[in-house]
Amino acid sequence: MWTLPLLVFVSTVVLAIPLGLYMSWIFDGRYRAPRWLHWVEEQIDVGPRNWKQYAVALLVFNVAAFLVGFAILALQPLLPLNPDNKGMLAPSMIFHTACSFLTNTNQQHYAGEVHLSYFSQLLFICWKMFITPSIGLAALVAIIRGLRGDSHMGNFYVDLWRGVVYLFLPLSVVVAVLLIAGGVPMTLEGNAAVATLEPGAMGMDGQGAAKPQEVARGPVAAIVAIKQLGTNGGGYFGANSAHPFENPSAWTNVLTCLCIILVPVAQLVMFGRMLGKLTQAVIIFGVMLVLSAATVVWGISYDSLQPNPALTVQASRDYAMVDPASPGGRRLLNVPDLVGLPVDQSLGNLEGKELRFGTSAGPTWAAFTTNTSNGSVNCMHDSLNPLAGLAPLVGMWLNCIWGGVGVGLINFLIYLVVGVFLAGLMVGRTPEYLGKKVEAREMKLAMLAFLIHPLMILGPTGLFTVTDWGVKTTNNPAAHGFSEILYEFSSASANNGSGFEGLADTVGFAADDKEEKVPQRAWDIACGIVLIISRFVPIIAPLAIAGSLAAKKRVPFTSGTLRTDTLTFGFVLLGTILLLGALTFLPAAVLGPIAEHLGPLPFGN
Amino acid sequence: MVAHLRACLWLLILTIVLCCGVYPLVLWGIGQAMLRHSAEGSLVRGPDGKTVVGARLIAQPFTSDEFFRPRPSAVTYNAAASGASNWGAANPLLRDRVARALGPIVKYRSGARKGQLVGEDVETWFKEQAPDYVATWASDHSASAEQWVKDNPDAVALWLGKEVDDVKNAPGDAAKVFFAGYAKRHPRTWPTVEEAKAEDGETVKRIKPADKGSDLQAYLFDPWLQEHKDADLEAVPADLVMASGSGLDPHITLKNALYQLDRVVSAWAEKTKSDPAAVRAAVERVLAEKTEAPLGGLVGVPLVNVLEVNLALTQRMPRLQAAR
Repeated sequence: MWTLPLLVFVSTVVLAIPLGLYMSWIFDGRYRAPRWLHWVEEQIDVGPRNWKQYAVALLVFNVAAFLVGFAILALQPLLPLNPDNKGMLAPSMIFHTACSFLTNTNQQHYAGEVHLSYFSQLLFICWKMFITPSIGLAALVAIIRGLRGDSHMGNFYVDLWRGVVYLFLPLSVVVAVLLIAGGVPMTLEGNAAVATLEPGAMGMDGQGAAKPQEVARGPVAAIVAIKQLGTNGGGYFGANSAHPFENPSAWTNVLTCLCIILVPVAQLVMFGRMLGKLTQAVIIFGVMLVLSAATVVWGISYDSLQPNPALTVQASRDYAMVDPASPGGRRLLNVPDLVGLPVDQSLGNLEGKELRFGTSAGPTWAAFTTNTSNGSVNCMHDSLNPLAGLAPLVGMWLNCIWGGVGVGLINFLIYLVVGVFLAGLMVGRTPEYLGKKVEAREMKLAMLAFLIHPLMILGPTGLFTVTDWGVKTTNNPAAHGFSEILYEFSSASANNGSGFEGLADTVGFAADDKEEKVPQRAWDIACGIVLIISRFVPIIAPLAIAGSLAAKKRVPFTSGTLRTDTLTFGFVLLGTILLLGALTFLPAAVLGPIAEHLGPLPFGN
Repeated sequence: MVAHLRACLWLLILTIVLCCGVYPLVLWGIGQAMLRHSAEGSLVRGPDGKTVVGARLIAQPFTSDEFFRPRPSAVTYNAAASGASNWGAANPLLRDRVARALGPIVKYRSGARKGQLVGEDVETWFKEQAPDYVATWASDHSASAEQWVKDNPDAVALWLGKEVDDVKNAPGDAAKVFFAGYAKRHPRTWPTVEEAKAEDGETVKRIKPADKGSDLQAYLFDPWLQEHKDADLEAVPADLVMASGSGLDPHITLKNALYQLDRVVSAWAEKTKSDPAAVRAAVERVLAEKTEAPLGGLVGVPLVNVLEVNLALTQRMPRLQAAR
């Protein structure tokens, strides 16, 4: 039960240490590139920049990448490598997909094997999966340079280039080859039509001949490798890493699960190394480890160690219902008891799980994928037991446990600034971080970056809960339906991309885009907007903080300095994160998973 | 600004060439050169050694008694559109689907009827209910009744004299009218759907009343169980009734396979006209050979790949007959 998460975790840390050192070596430009690569770097190096120029470069490149991506999707039927003749996609879905992959989110309202050609998979999906984590990493590196007081923030284009060429490409080749060896397809052939072993098992066609089973495949390994390494998460297939072709065995499951948190853990090592202050990184690592372990343990405890309560015996329960007509304004509603179904659930909740990964693989992956902003899934989160569903939600709400490539640590630094500020207030000293005073301007920026997240989750969730857009698209009753809406916006705002996938948010091809698809279009557009805002505000604001800190004079270190590399400060940080998280999201949690857990199961009927 | 745009353009072009051209081509080359079988999707050839009968990693449906059955699939084993039920524990449809899968297969665990199926008792119990029990069931289990109509829109439309689209657009309303009307016209029966030739020669789906059978056992097992709380029933392995995440999970647990063993053995014994004991030994040997466990058993329970096992059975069972 606990072997799998431990195995994944320990091997990640072992690999992350050398990788992190390597990353700091690359981003500090201490390598000597071969001549042709050096020539390329000269072409894109427009010189060192301050934070504003760095941010502008980042935005300009993102606009360009958005436009190119949009064009590739919009022209799908006209482009080559389309053996199964995928048609024109609906406009709102193109918009959503373009936003989703620009922001390293990979929230998918489409299903890969149904809607995308191999060209779209390779040019659009694969390309975005390489550049967007590198963009996040570039932003992080710039912020680190600001924090350590460099005179400039570096050059965005060069940083992006280094991330793609020296980090993600070599890593992906290694992982992809291992995946092919493990059974992941890498082919440009179209679907394989196989005659089933039992003739006619798939049914008969019009002429009375047995239908074959159409097996979708494609250049899967190339995409799965970078999907996992770059905290992307967008599956080649609709079922994502639960699909046997994306994740054929327990071995590939360990490998790909490890890849989810590999770079996010390694970037902590890079952070410590680049700052020259490893203990700072160790404290952050400790806090993240506690939070991460808590989500894993929580998920396994309520999902792998508990049966699915839909099938178990339920005691008779009385619920006090608000009813103005009754005396006292309340009436009792009795839900009679229910006999459990004769099912041996000793392996925990198996609905939406695959067997080949091992017993606790689903909740383990669910925790890691939402700790980081990966968002791939190897079990269906919608079918997790009610309380187990909280683990991924909490991961996305906090959005700083390991976090996305680059942006995860940036988000954590926001909490850190808030923590420093709170601790400073408590002991009555001017708060400072790494020898720089944290003042009103920095706090305003930090609050902006922090508050965008709950606003972008809770606001739209409220809107969709009371309108047809949300009500007509949920796949489950009552509290769980609310959780589906809440999850979708949490995932969008955290740039995560996983989902309670029962939600009917797919418009599909342009040919399917009929009038009754209004709610689905609303999902596309609302999520698209949330994705963009929640990506760029929390990148730009911390850049500004770093820029402003960099410009300040370093305060001398005295015995009165509030140290940020001690265990005590670690606890302050942990407390800050939990407190802020609980204050913002507890009410939503109560209305969703907790209400579902307490309510009658099944609900209705 | 010009320098910016120039750098931007360079980066766009170079990253696209590297990530979308060079990278996949290198992998494709490695796959084709060294790992061709898995790069093409691990396709498996049949007993004749030529026809492709499946992909080793992808579940395919098996319905005959002589084959082990895979886990239920929310996408009817459509390997070109994977997916799951996405039903939470609160969703009555989940319990309903599981109960329906259980009805025809559950056996008593103890007592005088140990080892016998409960299905017949469900049928007998149904006969003792009020004549219009089906209407009561539909109003008590509105979600399940609605799902029934969604699963059989053509037959319901034909029965109600409505357009199929009308039924599909308002399955809840159609369910109310249909089950109330049906219970009056065919008391003490359960509606099943059969295919029949219409006068113009086209195949149509129409309602056929039944007072026994697996449909009735499936739908009325849960209501029966609620009135027989003391019934001691044998628990069924969960993976036999709970759907996988992809809808294409190729494995079942060994426990599940052993649960299905009796059915498989007697079907092969009949088909090959061989001694059941010999058949059992042969099937058990196949299972033992094909059993694997995640990370060598470190993180999970023993499993078998359904396609592999069934393929081995189709290859070996005829030999058993020949040997005899």
